[in-house]
Amino acid sequence: MSGRAIGLQPARIRAIGMAPIGTRWLEIVGAWMLGLIWVLPLLYAVWTAFHPAAYATRFDLFAPLTLHNIQLAWEAAPFARYFLNTTILVTLILVAQFVLCTPAAFAFARMEFPGRDFVFAIVLLQLMVMPDVLLVGNYRTMVHLGLVDTILAIALPYLGSAFGIFLLRQTFRMVPQELDDAARLEGCSLLGRLWRVYVPLAKPTYIAYGLVSVSYHWNNFLWPLVITNSVTTRPLTVGLSIFASTDQGIDWSIITAATLMTSGPLLIAFLLFQRQFVQSFMRAGIR
Amino acid sequence: MTIRNQMNESGADVRLHGVARSWGATTALSGISLHVRAGSFCVLLGPSGCGKTTCLRIVAGLEQASAGVVEIGGRDVTALPPAQRGVAMVFQSYALFPHLTVAENIMFGLKARSVPKPDRLRRLDRAVEILGIGHLLARRPGQLSGGQQQRVALGRAIVAEAPVCLMDEPLSNLDAQLRAEMRREILALQRRLGITMLYVTHDQTEAMGMADQVVLLRDGRVEQDAPPADMYSRPATSFAASFIGTPPMNLLKLSHEGMVPGTGGPVLGPPRAAATLAGIRPEALRLSDHGIPAEVTHAEYLGADTVMVCSVGAEGRLLARLPGRVAIADGALVHFDFGPADLHLFDAATGHRIPQPA
Repeated sequence: MSGRAIGLQPARIRAIGMAPIGTRWLEIVGAWMLGLIWVLPLLYAVWTAFHPAAYATRFDLFAPLTLHNIQLAWEAAPFARYFLNTTILVTLILVAQFVLCTPAAFAFARMEFPGRDFVFAIVLLQLMVMPDVLLVGNYRTMVHLGLVDTILAIALPYLGSAFGIFLLRQTFRMVPQELDDAARLEGCSLLGRLWRVYVPLAKPTYIAYGLVSVSYHWNNFLWPLVITNSVTTRPLTVGLSIFASTDQGIDWSIITAATLMTSGPLLIAFLLFQRQFVQSFMRAGIR
Repeated sequence: MTIRNQMNESGADVRLHGVARSWGATTALSGISLHVRAGSFCVLLGPSGCGKTTCLRIVAGLEQASAGVVEIGGRDVTALPPAQRGVAMVFQSYALFPHLTVAENIMFGLKARSVPKPDRLRRLDRAVEILGIGHLLARRPGQLSGGQQQRVALGRAIVAEAPVCLMDEPLSNLDAQLRAEMRREILALQRRLGITMLYVTHDQTEAMGMADQVVLLRDGRVEQDAPPADMYSRPATSFAASFIGTPPMNLLKLSHEGMVPGTGGPVLGPPRAAATLAGIRPEALRLSDHGIPAEVTHAEYLGADTVMVCSVGAEGRLLARLPGRVAIADGALVHFDFGPADLHLFDAATGHRIPQPA
């Protein structure tokens, strides 16, 4: 595979002309620079979190390693509870999104009803509204519903996802009509076809969308900050920001330890699913 | 229910009464009526776009007829959903579920209809034994060759134990050799199970080789509905004549005197005011010292026979299929003779067969 790619390159460069050699180098250097800039804070966090506070701003290859900071951070704030809150939150959102988006996407993809395209256009419009614009309006709604300071309130504005509907609709439309016909002939009801044919065939899309949704809501900060005020509802991001503010003093070692701790599960999940994440997203998203 | 009783391995009659289908201004089918006898093999034949697949989908219930009645086994099924009609179907692309194994694919319908498991396995075993696909059961469709996929699709139709089986160009994705093999296999299967088969194809050799009854469609109408031998020997229209046979029947335009224009004879048809077409099968022609004069433009040697392309008169073209190897130089003048029964006359305007005095 790689041998073939390398073999191809001289021909390609010749075909395009002489300029690309310079451009290529510029691209490679640029990519490395971007990568370095992106990873630098993370490297600093790793360095600081696993070394004593004395080494927080000093680089010494032989500095002693320690897990003490992690232990301190874990004890300094109710992170266990925050973890639980975040896990409940992302699970709730993910399940609700799958359950709500699937039938909506199926209806838009394979059913004929008057005004279908118009309604779909309205759903798509939602993609262009930044969630932060709705902060005040959503807060007011939550007050009316009496849900302020609950995990449900954090999740509620995100349960119906235009993005999810769009993504699944595209996938469902690519399912061959003959498979649908065959299932119909074999006695499957509408929901039976959805469950036995469409959903299994859309698995890569569900995985890609699930990963995006989990990472987005794991990291989401502003809305949870506004709507929560107690330990029992706060997700990790909000808990971390409160922890990192003045009530701890600015101890970088502990703050970085806490940060790594909270983003750790997501980081590991991304590394595990990296290929699926990028691949299935490319496959599902760009069509 | 009544369907259960009918499923015991014997076919059911299929009747269409004035079935029509149109979308807005386009008409796919206009008033199709036909009768397929229980346990017989009927081929819906026609060029692409003639409405044969639409017709099949209406029988299956995958599409609704705009008008007309569909009867299966004496029941009016026009308003019934596909699953309650007692039909199984094999699709052109086979429509195997890529996420299921072969065994799961074959039993898909049984599971959806919640047939009890022992019964399910019994039917699977039987289909597997008939088709010889025991070694493939754990594979997925993506790991199968075209012929194997075709067998799995047949398996799914067999386990349904439906009295009527519908097939939509099931062999069009196979190579020529496999196609001939599967053709024999499908025919043997239909005979063995005694089911009624409704089979769609655009390939007239499939129709001639398999069918008890050929229904030739053209532009959404039945052009001719007859056993293959009759369709070959007595085509009802010039279209039917030109669609059946390899190569198809020669159609020569006749002058008012009943001769091919530009030739001095012989007289092929009676003098008529309206334009007439004379049809002669290429295999009915034989070289002679009298008969239709023609000039050889090209000869194609096919092994068992030679197809000779000739020009006749001013603008006529004649194909002759002669047994064995016939060595005649291009440009040579020959004469073709034929038996009186081999001449078919059609009205050039309507295409209808002109009855001849016996």
